[in-house]
Amino acid sequence: MALLEEPIKEVRTLKNYIDGEWVESKGEVIDVVNPATYKTIARVPISTGEEMDAAVEAAKAAFPDWRRTTPVARARYLFRLKELLEENFEEVSRIQTQEHGKTIDESRGETRRGIENVEVACGIPTLMQGYYSEDIAHGIDEWVIPTPLGVFGIIGPFNFPFMIPLWSAPYAVATGNCVVVKPSSEVPNSQTRLAELVEEAGFPPGVWNMVHGGRSVVSSMLEHPDIVGITFVGSTPTGRDVIYKKCGETGKRVIAQCGAKNFMTIMPDCDVDRTVAAMMTSFFGNAGQRCLSAANAVIVGDDDTFYKNFVEKVIVQIKSIKIGYGLDESVQMGPVRDKEKKDRIIRYIESGIEQGAKLILDGRKDFSIAGDYPGVCFLGPTVFENVTPDMRIGSEEIFGPVMSIMRVKDLDEAISITNANAFGNGNSIFTSSGKSAREYQYNVTSGNVGINIGIVAPMAFFPFSGMKDSFYGVLHTQGREAVRFFTESKVVIQRWF
Amino acid sequence: MILHTASEGVTFAKKLENDSAEFYEKLAQRSTGNAETLLSFAKENRKYVTQVESAYYGVITDAIEGCFAFNIDPDDYVLKTTVDDGADYTGALKQAVEIEETIIRFYTDAAEQSKSLMADVPRAFMLIARKRAGRLEKLGSLLEG
Repeated sequence: MALLEEPIKEVRTLKNYIDGEWVESKGEVIDVVNPATYKTIARVPISTGEEMDAAVEAAKAAFPDWRRTTPVARARYLFRLKELLEENFEEVSRIQTQEHGKTIDESRGETRRGIENVEVACGIPTLMQGYYSEDIAHGIDEWVIPTPLGVFGIIGPFNFPFMIPLWSAPYAVATGNCVVVKPSSEVPNSQTRLAELVEEAGFPPGVWNMVHGGRSVVSSMLEHPDIVGITFVGSTPTGRDVIYKKCGETGKRVIAQCGAKNFMTIMPDCDVDRTVAAMMTSFFGNAGQRCLSAANAVIVGDDDTFYKNFVEKVIVQIKSIKIGYGLDESVQMGPVRDKEKKDRIIRYIESGIEQGAKLILDGRKDFSIAGDYPGVCFLGPTVFENVTPDMRIGSEEIFGPVMSIMRVKDLDEAISITNANAFGNGNSIFTSSGKSAREYQYNVTSGNVGINIGIVAPMAFFPFSGMKDSFYGVLHTQGREAVRFFTESKVVIQRWF
Repeated sequence: MILHTASEGVTFAKKLENDSAEFYEKLAQRSTGNAETLLSFAKENRKYVTQVESAYYGVITDAIEGCFAFNIDPDDYVLKTTVDDGADYTGALKQAVEIEETIIRFYTDAAEQSKSLMADVPRAFMLIARKRAGRLEKLGSLLEG
């Protein structure tokens, strides 16, 4: 199968988008490498604190007029952005594959999910309505007005370079706020293209800004007195110990969506073929680099024959996964994002062996790459049996294509070990029993719960939830909760004499 | 080589449409009385490409999250789209019938395989298959005429 054309054809140094202008950064510049070809595709600046300050200043200056722009008019900018995203759907998707490594189907899925958030935010004239009570006392009425707050910082992760900032930004601007987006410096091209389309859609200068960079830029955001809130998606140590803590200290609103260790409970009454099929995308989609990827396969019951047959089917399916460059349409799993991440995953595989798990498929060597690509960032799927929750591979987030198989005696034990884990992001059960499903859904401490669904990704009109170490904050991104996060409730009580 | 990914399946559908459109364009050049009908087939093919793309892009998230996979062997749907210089016009029309039958079979199989997706994709496939059945009738009357 021939490769789809790469959209990024020349290496350029990316610029920041501040106050409606493309501005060169004075910061040092680092290479952005395509993980499949290992070729440099762009150079991204690590912007300075002053550049972040300039973006916040621009956003702050734009806020009063943008707030006064009617919700209907603000929605029209978003409608135009949606049109432009549809027109450029394929290019935007291919950029994601080129800079991240995911397959083209996965990238198109990411693009679609991003656009869906813009679509939901287009409904802001209705979503943002307040409510009213007449005669709360004699001749007195009371109502609430959701009002925008000012400037928000949006910090994106590397694993969904296009979509994740769109869980927040469309709602923030739709409600009348202004934003400064900081994309991951590992995958900055997707947000750069998005900012170009924002510009083309005609948003007023300063409403939507983008500043490239790393930790120093994040620190500037967190310290900045004019940023009223932050949304963050990334690791738990950063989300909890840096973002959430600092926002608490500086009085900012915060949504910190963090790490995960997702358990997939497999009941003996499940539809085996469909469960195995779901496991392929859940464990190995996006090369396991998503906070909703299943990590532990918890097989319930003491039926050895069921267990043996099930695992055999899983292994047969895994071995058929085609690995390569995601712009080859036939490829089903791409590389991981970079060598450091691959090395980290390998260290986890080694720890699994050291702690006594049985390695039945070794992703370090048991795979081949379709096409002539350097193996720097490629890994095959890895499968361990006899994993226990106290092992590092059974309890910590690996963020790679590693399946840890556990056995438990019954559903109670499956729920118990799931709940004992520090994370609570996207756990699921596969069963044909409504009773088991209901019991699982009721008792599991997980922000997102799947019943015969492997990747529990909420649609744009539902909140992207999370519990325990997977989430810090109160309200979530997406849909109505995002609208609440980006607005303050102003309550008016009125009497006329 | 079996086609598994949604992207591969859709690309293959587009290839069938484009290849058969080119066939009709060539055939139209050799036809005296039916060029308009044959060119309208080619035009319809381009429309079908858009319909398939729209259905695919509209439900791509479902294709990803729902662990969807085709199982299509392209060798089962090979089209003979070259028109031999020496071939008579009736023979070329019979060739067109074979092309249509093959494409109908492809869409019917693809619709069956994509039933687990949201309705858009199988519906788009079946709609095109049904419209093509009408085209078979037209080709039949051209052969009789």
